Amino acid sequence: MSALELVNIRKRYGTVETLKGIELSLASGEFLVLLGSSGCGKSTLLNIIAGLAEASEGDVRIGDRSVTGVHPKNRDIAMVFQSYALYPNMSVARNIGFGLEMRNVPAAERTEAVEKTARILQIENLLGRKPSELSGGQRQRVAIGRALVRDPQIFLFDEPLSNLDAKLRMEMRTELKRLHQMLGTTIVYVTHDQIEAMTLATRIAVMRDGQIEQLATPDEIYNRPATRYVASFVGSPPMNMLDATVGNGVAHIDGSLSGILLPHDVQERAGKARNVIIGIRPESLSLVSGDGKGLTIDAKVEVVELTGPELVVTSTIGSQRLTASLPPRSTVTVGTPQRFSIDASALHVFDQATEKRM
Amino acid sequence: MTSNWITTRAWFLMLPLLIVMIAVIGWPLIDTVRLSFTDAKLVGTQGSFVGLDNYVKILSGTNFQRALVTTFWFAVLSVALEMVIGVLAALLLNQQFYGRSVLRALMILPWALPTVVNATLWRLIYNPEYGALNAALLQMGLIDAYRSWLGEPNTALASLILADCWKNFPLVALIALAALQAVPRDITAASMVDGAGAWSRFRFVIMPYLAGPLMVALVLRTIEAFKVFDIIWVMTRGGPANSTRTLSILVYQEAFSFQRAGSGASLALIVTLLVTVLAVAYAALIRKSAGAS
Repeated sequence: MSALELVNIRKRYGTVETLKGIELSLASGEFLVLLGSSGCGKSTLLNIIAGLAEASEGDVRIGDRSVTGVHPKNRDIAMVFQSYALYPNMSVARNIGFGLEMRNVPAAERTEAVEKTARILQIENLLGRKPSELSGGQRQRVAIGRALVRDPQIFLFDEPLSNLDAKLRMEMRTELKRLHQMLGTTIVYVTHDQIEAMTLATRIAVMRDGQIEQLATPDEIYNRPATRYVASFVGSPPMNMLDATVGNGVAHIDGSLSGILLPHDVQERAGKARNVIIGIRPESLSLVSGDGKGLTIDAKVEVVELTGPELVVTSTIGSQRLTASLPPRSTVTVGTPQRFSIDASALHVFDQATEKRM
Repeated sequence: MTSNWITTRAWFLMLPLLIVMIAVIGWPLIDTVRLSFTDAKLVGTQGSFVGLDNYVKILSGTNFQRALVTTFWFAVLSVALEMVIGVLAALLLNQQFYGRSVLRALMILPWALPTVVNATLWRLIYNPEYGALNAALLQMGLIDAYRSWLGEPNTALASLILADCWKNFPLVALIALAALQAVPRDITAASMVDGAGAWSRFRFVIMPYLAGPLMVALVLRTIEAFKVFDIIWVMTRGGPANSTRTLSILVYQEAFSFQRAGSGASLALIVTLLVTVLAVAYAALIRKSAGAS
């Protein structure tokens, strides 16, 4: 049984189609992250799952029951909002228990459930306070508590960490991961932050222009991106995308004299394609040592930035840019040519016309 | 530049305004206080000092007591009705529907009309011979003969309250609508997911956002209703049989119709005192809500 199933979900505003036939099936206990830049339709999709917006076409099924046209309160879902959406006039305890109160759960039972939830989230000492007396992180916990207490089939998170500062965001990320591991709940989580997606998800759906570009595990999204878009969206610094022309199994990078011998399987799949994009993750590049055997590439170093754990080197190949993440103590001189060696197993090749992986 | 000099300059710059204020508010007020202790007539005699006689006479007289009761009912009923209708209208106008902005603009219209125009309009509607209200009620079969709504003591005040309500509910609606738009969408969405129905949502989630602004509207409207003069003067002149004679009408009659400047002045001061109490309550509320946010 799938916990959530989306069947051909479409959403139109007038003539503009913001969701173009989303198909998705989620097993119980999965942590699905909808990842995409703003305007890709991920929040609209979440609202359609919640019942806060209606799909123009298609069906939402929660626990094998169609919930199209069903009021949010009857969908057995709970939602955590970006703004936390706590009721400002109610105490923390009442905020958490409000959903139970509206479902006529007896007061004693309610209090017990609220206290249990507060214990899990370590906010027992805050139960008597008003939201205005809480810090951002505490409010976030209360918002999560409000969802948790109801024990719904699916949790929906709408960019829940984006209002927190960087340090707190990391803390809460770990906290969410801990909660998911502890409670085994089914979660749909919307974010534009690729780090959140990579660390939290059991599966990621990368969305673009109202469509799912790739639906896969974080490992696969990172190491075998299906399209150029997915490849460039996930990873920081982003993957290098070099335009190249293929001839005799060798990819000649535009503006460079050197060629990259394509692995056999890629050669086969490339077939007759002439124009390709060579994708190289910055961390797959290293400085050439010794005789420089294997795949190498020459570039002119332009900028060197030390971020702390790594040295980010930006260089140019003709008009194309190449970024490398190197160990912090590497010696690189700005303005000089530099030969980098490439980890051949981490080479990505995309068709320039279709932008799909080859 | 010393702070002393800044203070001096501030006073100097405000001086023209202060002089005007003393001339048009301060002096008349002080002179009213003086008048209230005399038996002066509007024309002719300057009057002589009579001590607290005017106050004693007014406070113990039935005219004042009756006017106070009439004013009380007018204020309480019209403001209560305005609040209820205003909030309902705001809730409606806060929904998504086609033509909403046109309706929002139309709603302001009664409030934007001068009171005298509004009063004249309603006098026509209530007219015992050709009034629209009579026609409508008769055609619906609710009454069997035309009635003089403003001419009968037991319907005159209610008719006035209705007319005043029609004019002033848009102000309440406007304030409530602004407050409704300040309710975050996520909060409403969260309450829907939490399972709150329309009534619970209004009571537990939306009402707290409305309470502060509505309180301000309530006090403002109460002060205004307490001072009501023009709509009543145009429609009934306090009649029939003094059934719509509010405090302001009484002050006017005492001072100008009966030309008793002395007791008119003391009556006016009593009304001023009552309104001041309301105004202080208003100021306290504003301070409280400012402190809360």
